[in-house]
Amino acid sequence: MSDIILEMRGMEISFPGVKALDQVDFTLRRGEVHALLGENGAGKSTLIKVLTGVHRPDAGTMLLSGQPIRPGSTQEAQKMGISTVYQEVNLCHNLTVAENIFIGRQPMKRGRIDWKTINRRARELMLRMGMDIDVTQPLSAYSIAIQQMASIARAVDINAQVLILDEPTSSLDDNEVVNLFAVMRELKAQGLGIIFITHFLDQVFAVSDRLTVLRNGRLVGEYEAGAISKLELVTNMVGKDMNVIYNLQKAPRPDEAPVVLEASGIGIPGKVEDISLNIRKGELLGFAGLLGSGRTETAEMLFGVVPVHQGSISIGEEPLSLRAPLDAIRRGMAFCPEDRKRDGIIGDLSIRENIALAVQATRGFMHPLPQKEQQELAQRFIKLLSIATPDADKKVGELSGGNQQKVILARWMATNPDLLILDEPTRGIDIGAKAEIQRLMLEMCKEGRSVIFISSELDEIIRCANRIIVMRDLAKAAEVDGDTCTQADILAIIANEGEGEEAAV
Amino acid sequence: MKKAIASGNFLRSKLFWAIVAELLILLVGFILRPDFLSIQLRTLSDGTTVLFGTPVDILNRASEITIIAMGMTLVIALGGTDISVGALVAVSGAIALKFLRWDVLVYNTPGDYTVQPFYLVILLPLLACTLMGLFNGALIGKLKIQPIIATLILMVGGRGIAQIVTDGKQFTTQYTPFKFIGNGSILGLPLPIIITLVVVLGVMLFVRRTSFGMFVESVGINPNASRVSGLKSGTIILIAYVLTGFLSGISGLIYASRISSNDSNNAGLGYEMDAILAVVIGGTSMTGGKFSLTGTVVGSLIIRTITTLVLYFGVVSEAIMAFKALIIAVVIVLQSEPVRNAISRRRDRIRTQMGGEARA
Repeated sequence: MSDIILEMRGMEISFPGVKALDQVDFTLRRGEVHALLGENGAGKSTLIKVLTGVHRPDAGTMLLSGQPIRPGSTQEAQKMGISTVYQEVNLCHNLTVAENIFIGRQPMKRGRIDWKTINRRARELMLRMGMDIDVTQPLSAYSIAIQQMASIARAVDINAQVLILDEPTSSLDDNEVVNLFAVMRELKAQGLGIIFITHFLDQVFAVSDRLTVLRNGRLVGEYEAGAISKLELVTNMVGKDMNVIYNLQKAPRPDEAPVVLEASGIGIPGKVEDISLNIRKGELLGFAGLLGSGRTETAEMLFGVVPVHQGSISIGEEPLSLRAPLDAIRRGMAFCPEDRKRDGIIGDLSIRENIALAVQATRGFMHPLPQKEQQELAQRFIKLLSIATPDADKKVGELSGGNQQKVILARWMATNPDLLILDEPTRGIDIGAKAEIQRLMLEMCKEGRSVIFISSELDEIIRCANRIIVMRDLAKAAEVDGDTCTQADILAIIANEGEGEEAAV
Repeated sequence: MKKAIASGNFLRSKLFWAIVAELLILLVGFILRPDFLSIQLRTLSDGTTVLFGTPVDILNRASEITIIAMGMTLVIALGGTDISVGALVAVSGAIALKFLRWDVLVYNTPGDYTVQPFYLVILLPLLACTLMGLFNGALIGKLKIQPIIATLILMVGGRGIAQIVTDGKQFTTQYTPFKFIGNGSILGLPLPIIITLVVVLGVMLFVRRTSFGMFVESVGINPNASRVSGLKSGTIILIAYVLTGFLSGISGLIYASRISSNDSNNAGLGYEMDAILAVVIGGTSMTGGKFSLTGTVVGSLIIRTITTLVLYFGVVSEAIMAFKALIIAVVIVLQSEPVRNAISRRRDRIRTQMGGEARA
């Protein structure tokens, strides 16, 4: 068929210890949006990296418009017409929009850069995507959404035949997503083939024509978007029945249990102000609010990551003064940070060492955990959390995001904490791992531990939490009952609609 | 299968290529003059038997750098560097000689005596260097000053301190126990080699039998995550610099003993660069993270082998530095990631071809 632009047949690639792709086929037609789906570690990014020349496949053929290709680098792939727009916008914020679009291939006129043409063509390109903006302004003057459009404009202008959008919507709001979809439709009408990678299933159905599902490096199937239901799709991605996630049982609300931690009026001027909260033994306290509303700062204060400037914290009856996270750990606290890469994993160390790290930190380096015990500890949690790895000596940096998150969780569960603070533990991980982490949280509450659960996804907070603190504008806006409140209630508080603070507690 | 992967990794490792480089340099020496590798037992005039030969000499003379490089490995694994070690070597020697010849006006001729008790002659230089390491460590670990700036202070100031200690004079000594440190031998093995073995094994045991090594790597790879996990990175950094200071003191005693003198201007000159180079050739990255003490030992031997080779073949002394740099450049290029990968890819290809033929 002539309308196939890209055909990948029998792609195979192995990394030490894992077969990352095993006999994977993929076809992309001219003028279609083709969603590539699968859990973390299913092989999506590996497939894209093979296509863009980052990895060389061990076997398999790739045909672009019928011609066999074997790109050796991303630049080579780009020249062939395969462009990628990554999740993080990787443009230069201090350059203008036009400069960003044309950097590295500026049109020249008499040995000098032809600014007139650059600006005119950049404006045309942005207009074509429905963006009527001043392209001579620096990129940083515009929102993430517009910056993303600029990187798409840049990608498309390099004679692209195939455009890869890797999680393009993760930092966009609803309106911006709609806008992006309009651009995608426009581009496909112009005959481009678009590969769309996302975790948001609703978006898959909103914009895709066909979808390909991968699991554990193998092809599960290729479907017409209209011919498969969401539940079927999820079941195919995860490989098991998804009813578990909808059957989670909330822990009973422990109104009579003693308070394990109390904070009164803690804050850091300019960052977050006057937060008071308490949490009981066995309770799951949710923290809702937009990104940047002060949730993470509050968690970091409670754990001693940043010093508390005002107010006080007490554990049981005793006041708690935190100079470093170690003080909090010694008092039975644990903290899974939001930014897994920056504050969580030690990428080059093994799974075993990463799991043992916090336990070892409380013991001090002169009292090492014997190798045998470390190994047992690691094995126990690899099994308990079903971390996908051939052995405990694999580097954590080589695991997928969901498995890295589980390793960090294991690090803290190994310290046997009374109070666990989880900051966005389910972000960027697949639905199967998400369900498992929620189940674990609830189980820990039933064992009598307390959990503070911070998340941007309201449905999962409501599903799990006994009580929910809603943050807005660097302060606590309200505290609501997790059993009775709805998403709409919380959204209203975040949006500051009904002035009714302190809703039903 | 699993073994093939492991050996593949080893082929890609810097340590492997460091060993290859060392063997190649030795081979060049052997081809040029076959007696380059010979070892013999000789009986000295005082009746003791000692091992002689270039390989023994390389091991012996590598001691000063190897000992310092053990501490430097940890410092570099933590993402830092210590350029004061050379100056500390000078301080160590100056203090030792000061105590051997305390009142020079009275004891104005060097001889087989010591003014202060011998244990002070050994302990006080070590204590001084340890305190200087503490100074470095406090600036870097606690006050978060950039390592190269913090250790620059003692790099410059250390030689000044050494001058002050000895009033700018150069003393010599003939005290036998002191001379034994750098020149003596036990069971035929030169004492510096034995001291080096003890230090290397001691540091290895300390690092791997306790969790210190894991903590160092953790802080070196990701300081933020290490802190959140409860590590006190400041203290870990402090200990690494204190250890490096202490080891520089040992190295300084060996050096001073070899020349039976103190030399504030030349003792330990350029040691910081040799030690850093030994660590890097041994496979520890300057950006911090995973480290290899074994690699550092090999790296230190490479540097000393090159120096010995150059001296052995009578390269004019003006050209020694340039020649040394040339060989080091070759070693580092051989170790660079693209070259390593290219070689192991080539080998993989040959292996798969052979495997294919075998199956066919």
